[in-house]
Amino acid sequence: MMPPDWSVWDVLWRASIETLQTTIAGTFLGALLAYPLGVLAASNWTPAWIHLPVKAVMAFIRSIPLLILALLFVSAVGLGPFPGVLAIAVHSVGVLGRFVAEEIEATDPRPLLALQGTGASSIQVIQHGLIPQVLPQMVAHLAIRFEMNLRDSTILGLVGAGGLGFYVFLYIKQFQWEKTGVLCLAIIFLVFAGEFVSWQIRKRLI
Amino acid sequence: MSPEIIIRLKGVAVRRDDRDILSIDNLSITRGERVAFIGNSGSGKTTLMRMLKGYITPSRGQVEVMGTPVPLGSRSRMRMYHRQIGMIHQHFDLIERESVWQNVYHGRLGYVPLMRSILGRFNAGDRDICMRALKEVRLEDKLYRSARTLSGGEQQRVAIARTLSQEPTIFLADEPVSSLDPALSEDILDLLVTICDAYRLTLLISLHLPELACRIADRIIAMKAGKIVWQGLPEELSEEKIWEIYGRGEGKGEGNERLERANGFHMDWGHGSEVHPLPGS
Repeated sequence: MMPPDWSVWDVLWRASIETLQTTIAGTFLGALLAYPLGVLAASNWTPAWIHLPVKAVMAFIRSIPLLILALLFVSAVGLGPFPGVLAIAVHSVGVLGRFVAEEIEATDPRPLLALQGTGASSIQVIQHGLIPQVLPQMVAHLAIRFEMNLRDSTILGLVGAGGLGFYVFLYIKQFQWEKTGVLCLAIIFLVFAGEFVSWQIRKRLI
Repeated sequence: MSPEIIIRLKGVAVRRDDRDILSIDNLSITRGERVAFIGNSGSGKTTLMRMLKGYITPSRGQVEVMGTPVPLGSRSRMRMYHRQIGMIHQHFDLIERESVWQNVYHGRLGYVPLMRSILGRFNAGDRDICMRALKEVRLEDKLYRSARTLSGGEQQRVAIARTLSQEPTIFLADEPVSSLDPALSEDILDLLVTICDAYRLTLLISLHLPELACRIADRIIAMKAGKIVWQGLPEELSEEKIWEIYGRGEGKGEGNERLERANGFHMDWGHGSEVHPLPGS
């Protein structure tokens, strides 16, 4: 792999941006679905006939490895970053939804009851009582999920879902180790950067 | 003209696990009265408070508050009822990550239409009411402090301001000073009395210590095993009566030690009937 061949700079830049875009789109699309589903999965907010099936669906999603999900979406919508976005989004729904449900279940119910006692409606109790209590943890979980999705999305290219992984796989097949080395360095840098951002966000919130 | 009865209970019982945890044959409270409920933990004080607040439905009997049977049928009527009955708790129950100002604003949620509250738009009238409540509890200089950074006494004052901003008719205080030191306890109780007198609120307060109850109440009601075992004026509450209410020889717990300290006498658990003054009391 040494010395690194920096002539792949263009590919490196384009693939890194694509990986980052895939991660951001997948994580936030997943979060959009995961937060309401997490509320539905919280046993202290919904009856058993709602939270048990929702929890089961989320557990089922979590049980499918990300690469298998990516393979499924590649065969469904074709090659490129889009199946990567879908795979990350669906996987994030399973993981983030569970975190949301567990945070809500662990919330102290007494301040919420006190709010209800002021005459607040259920929606007002959620907005003014529940969300302020769980929001910092929710954002912290989202930051961790982003960091993990960034790491995962670098290898989604192995199954044709775009990003840095696609080019790593391509150069390995062509035995171009110097170029592969450059892309591996980029993956390490991206993962470290993701961890740093996630750590900074969590440090400020909790 | 006889005073207006604001709370009337007839043959009320709350049943859990095949036993009555609260059983009150008859109880009337008049408007503007300050009533203190005393008794051991588990005597039914909190259950009574929660039932009057509308959190617990009685298993039988009739609860009438401000001339209306409780609980009220629909959710919207129950919300209007909740607004009228303010309640503070032992653990303050604030949204700790929110500021003092936001916590006091929460008292107005029952009056604000849903869309306005979602957008966080409260009108000038709501702001004035909250500001007045904050001035009453002397916290106008800590508006933007996070509630979790306040001391216990300050948090309870925020809870009082939140309740006051509800513009209630009845003020329920469920062991409001149990987690505060004696000096702060007296401060909070004096504040409650001042506010209830100023706004002509009916105050129902549950307390562990009879001394504190005698200090603030017009009438004391003693409870034991879910029943009212005694009621009368503070000056009628003798030491012997306190013995009867709190039980004798049932084990010397922390609560009883506090009771002794507060009342300046010593319970003789070994022999039962003697009451010894504490040294220096």
